Amino acid sequence: MGPAPAGEQLRGAAGEPEVSGLALEGVSKEKATSRKRAKAERPADGLLQPVKLSREELYKEPTNEELNRLRETEILFHSSLLRLQVEELLKEVRLSEKKKERIDAFLKEVSLRIQRVPSVPEAELTDQSWLPAGVRVPLHQVPYAVKGSFRFLPPSQITVVGSYLLGTCIRPDINVDVALTMPREILQDKDGLNQRYFRKRALYLAHLAYHLAREPFFGSVRFSYTNGCHLKPSLLLRPHGKDERLVTVRLHPCPPVDFFRPCRLLPTKNNVRSAWYRGQGAPESASPEPPTPHYNTWILQDTALDSQTQLLATVLGSAQGLKDGIALLKVWLRQRELDKGLGGFNGFLISMLVAFLVSKRKIHATMSGYQVLRSVLQFLATTDLTVNGISLSLSSDPSLPVLADFHRVFPVVFLDSTGRLNFCADVTASTYHQVQHEAQLSMALLDSKADDGFQLLLMTPKPMIRAFDHIVHLRPLSRLQAACHRLKLWPELQDNGGDYVAAALGPLTTILEQGLGTRLHLLAHSRPPVPEWDINKEPPKHKDSGTLTLGLLLRPEGLTSVLDLGPEADQPEAADFRQFWGSRSELRRFQDGAIREAVVWEAASMSEKHLIPQQVVTHLLALHADIPDTCVHYVGGFLNALIQGPKEISNTGEEALALAVRCYDDLSRLLWGLEGLPLTVSAVQGAHPVLRYTEVFPPAPVRPAYSFYKHLQERASLLPRPDKPCPAYVEPMTVVCHLEGSGQWPQDAEAVKRVRAAFQLRLAEVLTEQHGLQCRATATHTDVLKDGFVFRIRVAYQREPQILREVRSPEGMISMRDTPASLRLERDTKLLPLLTSALHGLQQQHPAFSGVARLAKRWVRAQLLGEGFTDESLDLLAAALFLHAEPFTPPSSPQVGFLRFLYLVSTFDWKNNPLIVNLNSELTAEDQVEIRRSFLAARAQLPVMVIMTPQDRRSSVWTQDRPSAQILQQLVILAAEALPVLEKQLMDPRGPGDIRTVFRPPLDMYDVLLHLTPRHIPRHRQAVDPPAASFCRGLLSEPGPSSLMPVLGYDPPQLYLAQLREAFGDLALFFYDQHGGEVIGVLWKPTSFQPQPFKASSIKGHMVVSRGGELVMVPNVEAILEDFAVLGEGLVQSVEARSERWTV
Amino acid sequence: METAAPESGTTTPVHPCASVHKMVARKKKAGACGPEGSVSSPLGYSAIPVKFSEKQKASHYLYVRQHRVRQDTQSTWPPNRTLFVLNVPPYCTEECLSRLLSSCGAIKTVELQEKPELAESPKEPKSKFFHPKPVPGFRVAYVVFQKPSGVSAALNLKSPMLVSTESHPVKSGIHKWISDYEDSVFDPEALRVEVDTFMEAYDKKIAEEETKAKEEEGVPDEEGWVKVTRRGRRPVLPRTEAASLRVLEREKRKRARKELLNFYAWQHRETKMEHLAQLRKKFEEDKQRIELMRAQRKFRPY
Repeated sequence: MGPAPAGEQLRGAAGEPEVSGLALEGVSKEKATSRKRAKAERPADGLLQPVKLSREELYKEPTNEELNRLRETEILFHSSLLRLQVEELLKEVRLSEKKKERIDAFLKEVSLRIQRVPSVPEAELTDQSWLPAGVRVPLHQVPYAVKGSFRFLPPSQITVVGSYLLGTCIRPDINVDVALTMPREILQDKDGLNQRYFRKRALYLAHLAYHLAREPFFGSVRFSYTNGCHLKPSLLLRPHGKDERLVTVRLHPCPPVDFFRPCRLLPTKNNVRSAWYRGQGAPESASPEPPTPHYNTWILQDTALDSQTQLLATVLGSAQGLKDGIALLKVWLRQRELDKGLGGFNGFLISMLVAFLVSKRKIHATMSGYQVLRSVLQFLATTDLTVNGISLSLSSDPSLPVLADFHRVFPVVFLDSTGRLNFCADVTASTYHQVQHEAQLSMALLDSKADDGFQLLLMTPKPMIRAFDHIVHLRPLSRLQAACHRLKLWPELQDNGGDYVAAALGPLTTILEQGLGTRLHLLAHSRPPVPEWDINKEPPKHKDSGTLTLGLLLRPEGLTSVLDLGPEADQPEAADFRQFWGSRSELRRFQDGAIREAVVWEAASMSEKHLIPQQVVTHLLALHADIPDTCVHYVGGFLNALIQGPKEISNTGEEALALAVRCYDDLSRLLWGLEGLPLTVSAVQGAHPVLRYTEVFPPAPVRPAYSFYKHLQERASLLPRPDKPCPAYVEPMTVVCHLEGSGQWPQDAEAVKRVRAAFQLRLAEVLTEQHGLQCRATATHTDVLKDGFVFRIRVAYQREPQILREVRSPEGMISMRDTPASLRLERDTKLLPLLTSALHGLQQQHPAFSGVARLAKRWVRAQLLGEGFTDESLDLLAAALFLHAEPFTPPSSPQVGFLRFLYLVSTFDWKNNPLIVNLNSELTAEDQVEIRRSFLAARAQLPVMVIMTPQDRRSSVWTQDRPSAQILQQLVILAAEALPVLEKQLMDPRGPGDIRTVFRPPLDMYDVLLHLTPRHIPRHRQAVDPPAASFCRGLLSEPGPSSLMPVLGYDPPQLYLAQLREAFGDLALFFYDQHGGEVIGVLWKPTSFQPQPFKASSIKGHMVVSRGGELVMVPNVEAILEDFAVLGEGLVQSVEARSERWTV
Repeated sequence: METAAPESGTTTPVHPCASVHKMVARKKKAGACGPEGSVSSPLGYSAIPVKFSEKQKASHYLYVRQHRVRQDTQSTWPPNRTLFVLNVPPYCTEECLSRLLSSCGAIKTVELQEKPELAESPKEPKSKFFHPKPVPGFRVAYVVFQKPSGVSAALNLKSPMLVSTESHPVKSGIHKWISDYEDSVFDPEALRVEVDTFMEAYDKKIAEEETKAKEEEGVPDEEGWVKVTRRGRRPVLPRTEAASLRVLEREKRKRARKELLNFYAWQHRETKMEHLAQLRKKFEEDKQRIELMRAQRKFRPY
């Protein structure tokens, strides 16, 4: 069902295997028998067990209360599980009564102390000499000169506003907003002009801050910006001592009610004069003053604090469901990082939206929290506020501006009850679209009634790096100032009080969205964080707010096109197109005779095509915003280096895989058309990772240099030579070949084997005769050399698994029993081809699948755990990221897919859940429920890691023997460590540093290291850190005469490992990275080092010593260490024993 | 370590032993292990040290004794002439063992096995095409001498045995793998011959069985029973579990079709109760799940 905390899910670390074993067995026996017990005890050991209720309890007469609750659950929530989960979550985030009391007491003290702050006599605004030295004005006073005077008087009214009062604030950071109404004496007419009000507001806070900071009662007194708006500082007060983290009280000064005339603050009005702002004399021409909608909104917001709280209070009233709904929505927004910063979609907005929906009767006060969440998401998903704004105002006053007026100046429109204030004034169109996108995803998730919908919806964080395919960092931010000038955004700067980040954000995202066109699904931007600073510091500058990060969600369909087609040359739009693309736009004649403007991007390989958005973004930013590419840090293809073949620079193997698959297609066509076989070929199916695009390093056509090998002329084969370095590794690609049905097959397992062997021989003959292919037949397969690729064809007889399964009882009844041999055969000839074709199909649907699966596999192997997992299980894990991407969208880049792979591995609760991979969507919701049920019932018999597919609903074939609990646990730990490291690297705007860091395995845990000589490692060049030089592997760079069968599957490290595992598998575990690893890690099994009484069958590698008069067996470690060197003669360079743990 | 990529392959051979020796020496100083001289051996066995070659310092021990079985069990090994050997290292082959023990007397056979087995393996050698040799680990061996004196001589062996010597080198590592690879490239003609002989024998066997079955067809046995087979004029259902299950299933379906659903009031009541029971069960399950999630702190959205 969802994440489990690391370390809790699977017992036992890798360091102490055996002890833990499977914690499952013991537990399942003691099943909770009675309801009482089930309630009283926690599920033992964090493991779910099937519930058993007695008949009596199941069928007793229901009480009214019970019926009510059941009905309520059915109506208000869609399942009882969801109801319980929601209740549990609300309990967690809600503020306890005890804490509320403490906060109330603190608030009372605060208001007392504010009243005690002394007044100061009146002074000019520009004369700030009265301010004490220990405090700075929390506002950038640019330009400094401004008319008006200021004096401090204690506030006329202190009111608590916002979520705390409404009971909708959620943990962990509790904020209490307090509005301080400044006495009318402080303000003067025309204070709305030229930031005078904001200057006074800031001075008011500065004076307050100085005096409050002298009180030891407060733990900290700091400044911050209200919702990130840098004209509106606020003062943060925190209690002293252990309560410091309990609450943050935010003080917002505001004008007296009715001080400002609302008609002066309409979005069409100007309140910042150009002459004052730009510091020039009289304006050179009589150009009209530009409107200042944002500036006006910020003043209006201050005037409406109290009335808005009252409105919400009346709507929410005592409707607990609405409050719950708002709390849930806040959690939802927070998990998606939508609620923070300037222009964030914060809790206040969502509360107002709930109020709006109540007024529109879309939500009713009796609804449950879950229903409110659903209704709001539904509304967001279907309503585009950037086109059709909404308003809480009911009045039909003709003097009020219409919605269209607001749409003209604000990207998103949601008006308050007066019809003058736009709640969404600072929200950018991108932010709203992101909210909408998330709402749509969430609705789809809720509608699918997925079992773990709650987890995915509310408990899964969606940080930008894991949610978006590509990430762009813009740094330093001061470049945006130049961008504002290039984009001619002076009125916007004037409106935003000089905040060039906010001013440039909207136009920049619009340009990029237009330029990326069909490649783009969604563009999101980070919102500058809200800073906090000490009262004796200058307020932070705009450029200090770090980095602007853009997230691109790509559309796989249009992503790889190298051509952006423009209008025909004689159309008037052509000029716009040319202007938009600058020098990249060219006139081109197309095959249909049209002459059009077009932009062509250079991309030689598939992986470069996937990075075309990088070219687009850097080009457009440089052209339109004057941001050079040194300031644009594009994060999209850094991980490609890990799956690039040796000596490759630009491509990541997509082409090589496609070439191999094409060759396979040719071969299968040849096989279908073969004549001269006793039975014709009915089906050819691939059964190799290459044929499902998940081989980390795809094969290249082999062109052996004959002088490098020993020849075996009579078999037309090449053999390795001891005096040369190990030849290149060629792995044959397995292909399963089915023959047409026939009654002539023998019905005896041994005889079937012989007949199959005869078919293999015949197949080799026929292929050589009819198509001149070099073949080599053995009893189980035929190797075929075609165009430099080697395929291993296995003839399969459909009924063979059945024959192996038949058991004849003494009475002559034939029944079917699975045997290891039948299961293996069925897996290899039936399930594996099915899986391969399903994943092949997945690749056609999601082009990023190959990259993700290969990166994931590469990482697991690089951690030396590759042999602990079957290839297929890792491929299925990668497939799950695409088929069950919720709450994300299926990845469109290897990078984001790999991050989610790490997240999945590190958080999935393998103990209590099967990973269901719904290939081809064959499983219905009921099927999945059934799978989960049978999983719970049979948990103890199933492997530690369970992956179910439509073809394999009960047994989890691909994880049957591997991994062990310890290996899985090790993988979980490593993934949990790698994920934050890699995310931090990728989110670092200065560049990721060494991207291979997380791929290097930790070696300090191993007891013995066997260092291998690179001379005999055929895949040495594939290592994570590719060697500067390696050995010649007997390959030609030019195609030569290739009529001899190359050396197949000869990999000394693998042969060595097989020997080690066979001889010492009881004593130690062996770890190795098959992709060019230079070291084998050996881990002694601690239990096998306990002295044991002599037993003839388990003497393997032990010696008998006398211990305290008793004869016991202990491993003969010294001899074994020397055996390591003996068995690997020529391959092993040194044996390094690193620990004394084996001392017995 | 070489870093260049020499085409000629004239690099110096690598000696993995040097560092091992150092390590072992360190271990000796720790002195945790029993001293070399006082080798213990379990009751009835005697220990013979065995090393791969001169170069190795530490040795494994073969534990040998005369092959004996309990009274009631059968064994095909001749009891007084057979030596039972435990803990044969992976690099030690049959030939090698035979050479090492030949000093004790003439040897008839040497057989290496995964685990102790009382019976001799079938005389007919397993086909190398269909049963490839497994990767060797530590094994047991049954060595049959020509004379009983060989066994007693072997029990008194004390000097360390060397598996690989100057005169009889045993391949290991790269050399062994290369020769294994060479062996795996065999002549398809041999395979064909083997398959053909097997199938001929098989066909003959099947034909015999069929003629026998045909003869018995319709002929009553001594009690008068006639065996009915699939091949008869009126074929019957095959006697398989699947077939009988199929029949049962069909019967069940037939019966279910005839039954009326929710027709009587009591049926209605029962359906409702059943639904309620299902909900209750689900609720219990959910509660258990919540309990687990709470224990795992899964309700903290931060």
